[in-house]
Amino acid sequence: MRALVPVVLLAAVEVDAAAVSAMVTDAAGAPVPEAVIYALPASGKLPATAPRPAVMDQINKEFVPFVIPVQLGSSVTFPNKDNIRHHVYSFSPAKIFDLKLYSGKPSSPVVFDKPGPVALGCNIHDWMVGFVYVVESPWFAKTAKTGSARLDLPDGEYDLKVWHPWLRAELPAQRVKVSGTDAQASFRVDLNPPPKATPH
Amino acid sequence: MSLPKLRSLQARIALFFVILLITVQAVLVLLVSVSGERIAKDRIAQDLLVGERVFRRLIEQSNRQLADAARILAADFGFRTAIATRDYGTIVSVLANHGARIDANVVMLADLDRKLLADTLHPEQRATEFPFPDLIALAERDRQASSIVLIDGKPYQVVVVPVLAPVPIAWVAMGFVIDDRVAHDLRAVAALHVTFLSERRNGRWTLHASTLPGPLRAALIESGSAAGSKVGLGFVKLAGEEYETLAPVLGSGPEGNVVALLQRSLRESLEPFERLRSILLVMTLFSIGMTIAGSVLIARSVSRPVNRLATIARSIRDGDYSQKAAVEGQDEIGELAASFNHMLDGISAREEEILRLAYEDTLTALPNRAMFLDRLQQAVLTARRTNDPVSVMMLDLDRFKVINDSLGHAAGDQVLREVAHRLRELLRDSDTVARLGGDEFAVLLPTGTSDGVAIVAQRILRTLEAPIMLEGQPVDIGASIGVASFPEHDDEGDSLLRHADVAMYVAKRANSGYAIYDPRYEEGRQTQLSLLSELRRAVENDELSLFYQPKIDLKTGMIRRAEALVRWIHPTRGFVPPVEFIPFAEQTGYIKRVTRWVVERAVQQAGEWHRDRLDIAISVNVSTRDLMSNELVDLVAALLQKHAVPAEQLCLEITESSFMEDPARALETLGRLHALGVRLSVDDFGTGYSSLAYLKKLPVEEIKIDRSFVMHMVEDEDDAIIVRSTIELGHNMGLEVVAEGVEDHSGMEFLKRLGCDQVQGYYISKPLPTPQFVEWLKARRAVEQKPEAASA
Repeated sequence: MRALVPVVLLAAVEVDAAAVSAMVTDAAGAPVPEAVIYALPASGKLPATAPRPAVMDQINKEFVPFVIPVQLGSSVTFPNKDNIRHHVYSFSPAKIFDLKLYSGKPSSPVVFDKPGPVALGCNIHDWMVGFVYVVESPWFAKTAKTGSARLDLPDGEYDLKVWHPWLRAELPAQRVKVSGTDAQASFRVDLNPPPKATPH
Repeated sequence: MSLPKLRSLQARIALFFVILLITVQAVLVLLVSVSGERIAKDRIAQDLLVGERVFRRLIEQSNRQLADAARILAADFGFRTAIATRDYGTIVSVLANHGARIDANVVMLADLDRKLLADTLHPEQRATEFPFPDLIALAERDRQASSIVLIDGKPYQVVVVPVLAPVPIAWVAMGFVIDDRVAHDLRAVAALHVTFLSERRNGRWTLHASTLPGPLRAALIESGSAAGSKVGLGFVKLAGEEYETLAPVLGSGPEGNVVALLQRSLRESLEPFERLRSILLVMTLFSIGMTIAGSVLIARSVSRPVNRLATIARSIRDGDYSQKAAVEGQDEIGELAASFNHMLDGISAREEEILRLAYEDTLTALPNRAMFLDRLQQAVLTARRTNDPVSVMMLDLDRFKVINDSLGHAAGDQVLREVAHRLRELLRDSDTVARLGGDEFAVLLPTGTSDGVAIVAQRILRTLEAPIMLEGQPVDIGASIGVASFPEHDDEGDSLLRHADVAMYVAKRANSGYAIYDPRYEEGRQTQLSLLSELRRAVENDELSLFYQPKIDLKTGMIRRAEALVRWIHPTRGFVPPVEFIPFAEQTGYIKRVTRWVVERAVQQAGEWHRDRLDIAISVNVSTRDLMSNELVDLVAALLQKHAVPAEQLCLEITESSFMEDPARALETLGRLHALGVRLSVDDFGTGYSSLAYLKKLPVEEIKIDRSFVMHMVEDEDDAIIVRSTIELGHNMGLEVVAEGVEDHSGMEFLKRLGCDQVQGYYISKPLPTPQFVEWLKARRAVEQKPEAASA
């Protein structure tokens, strides 16, 4: 989460833009954290922005954070902060890889070159689940505990989309127009969380 | 057992216990059977329900195990890697390979859209719908799902688990075919017959696996029971055996339902009860055997001694007291036997006593009349056979009545005992001495001849001569004996006894000590018997009459006295001598009546003669009995007054022996008669045994010398001495002396010389009837006037 903050700040500094506040709630109206909000220009023209590297830690036999949204082409490092080894893998079509048993920082970061969700697992700790969501757009954010996220977008028209690992069905994009003023968006999502596997 | 035997205690006891036992055991067996079957059925139902639960649990457990295995398999990195390749050939081979690791018979892979990705059974089949979408739906929720479904018509246990990476990326299904082995494994735990059947969509039933033996499987299908049992619990009959059946549906799929038939044989459930029943039956038979044996033993221990007692009781009934009951043990039977023996002793003792009382005289301990008669009969019977003589003796004490009356019964008893003792001492043991009653004894001499008997009789008389000491005083008891012998006198026992009795009376009357029976006695006896009634009539009809015999005064030669003698002229027999009825009258007591008649007549006559101034005193004989009462005194006094006769005109002659029997009483009577002024004379003086001391006390005026002395005194010196002494004695005591039986002149002269006062006898005159006597007297008186005649 802390990694996200500089990204947002950078966006605000670089262009004149307005902030879009998105609120994600579940079927019961409870705020939904860890949901990825991203915006796709309605024009379809994506800016040529260099993807930034990201970090997915493994702390206390959990992926931290649970979800990281990254821009297409980003490289993500998977540092192991535990004193045991992990074997991180993914069989998701967006990125199939596995980092054989290692400790500390793996030799090379993983570059995510296809958009889509990538489910991360550890081959020796079945309960460990993490997600890297690869989006084509440089504009994305992740909801906090309050269920809200903020996107700073240059003026223009965008399609706002939401993604969550337990999302039962894909929700239609919401079009927002950004013209100097802050905009609001809210998503009500239907989540289908799998049974929680217990660590052992 | 036959009916008569049933009456025995033994059989009844045994029968009772056997019936009791059989009843109890039958009820028990019935209970076991009925409740056994019910319990078994209840038990089966319960077993089935429990078995079903166990079965389901086993299936679940198996499912979970298979699912766990499948999940582990699905989590295999290589497996997941192979899946991720999306290369169909690789996928099929990894499915087969990994499935084989857990012995799965079929492995299928489906994508998240439930589309079949691969199927090891049908490798050519792709991209079709996964046949068990429900299982995937369950697995989405529970991370695993399982069921028993039909695949290609065969039942499979199928588990579905997700392939996680780490979120589900596919579904893998693993199927395990259900065969007999599975059924047997289940049966081993659930203890039920397990049969897996399928019901196709077309309604056809198929048996796939079973623990039932082959023939029963066929029967199961053929009977169509499977279809019927679908509804649930119920009994199914297979090859004649009942099976309680439960048929839970295990799972359904597109091809149809799989049903498990859970069965339990009723026979198997009943087996413990059958065993129990067998044990009961064996126990029953054993118990019946033991009961019969025990009952018979116990009953025998009761009935045997009882039977023995019954046998002994029968012998007791027959008079055999020799057998005693064996006393075995301390129980009731033992007590009974002991009591029985006591009873036996008691009966035998009492019988002995009764016999003794019946056949023994208690006073003398001699046999009694009954026993004597019995022995007599026996002896006669024996004698008839052997021709040996048998003699019977009757013995009667002469003065017993006097002793009894004067000294009391105790003295009488003592006399009888003493006599018995003497007889017993004297006679041989083979002789029977019996007391017939009163003072009557009898002796049976089985071998005695009549001659020998006479000697025995004399010896008996001698032994009885010795006086018996009573209260310190010697008392004489004479006896009279009658003898009768077989076959000389009679050939019947009781007749012999009667003859002996007759002979005894003869002896008594004759004062002869003993007499041997003579048939002539019997005639006299017969006469006597009729005489009693005739005598009675004679007294009443005045057939008796008085004859008078004069007594002459030797000093004056004058007749002043006469003895009145009773004479009986029988209407048919004529003259009956006094000796034939007087002793008899004395015996019967009728003598008192006779005496009364005589005294009445004599006093009346005296009165007449006194009025005629004939001046003659009359002597009358009175008997012993007359002296024992006051009647005579009163009678005499009354008659003297009635006929105005001076007392000195009457003289009463008493025999010497008469006052010996009861001297005190006799003395009293004599005293009173003497006071009346009546003259008293002792008759037959010299024949008795009276002492002079007694004589001295008697208020008599004269003694009369017995004719037995007088008749032979002229020739016999001894008799002459007796007569002379008696005369001297009488004179010395102040008594007049009269001699009777004077039959000739020399006798009278002899007596005159001796100083005898009066004489009577045939020489002077025989007894004369009243008219003749008066005539004789008048004639004599006429002569008396002449002095020479008086001196003659």
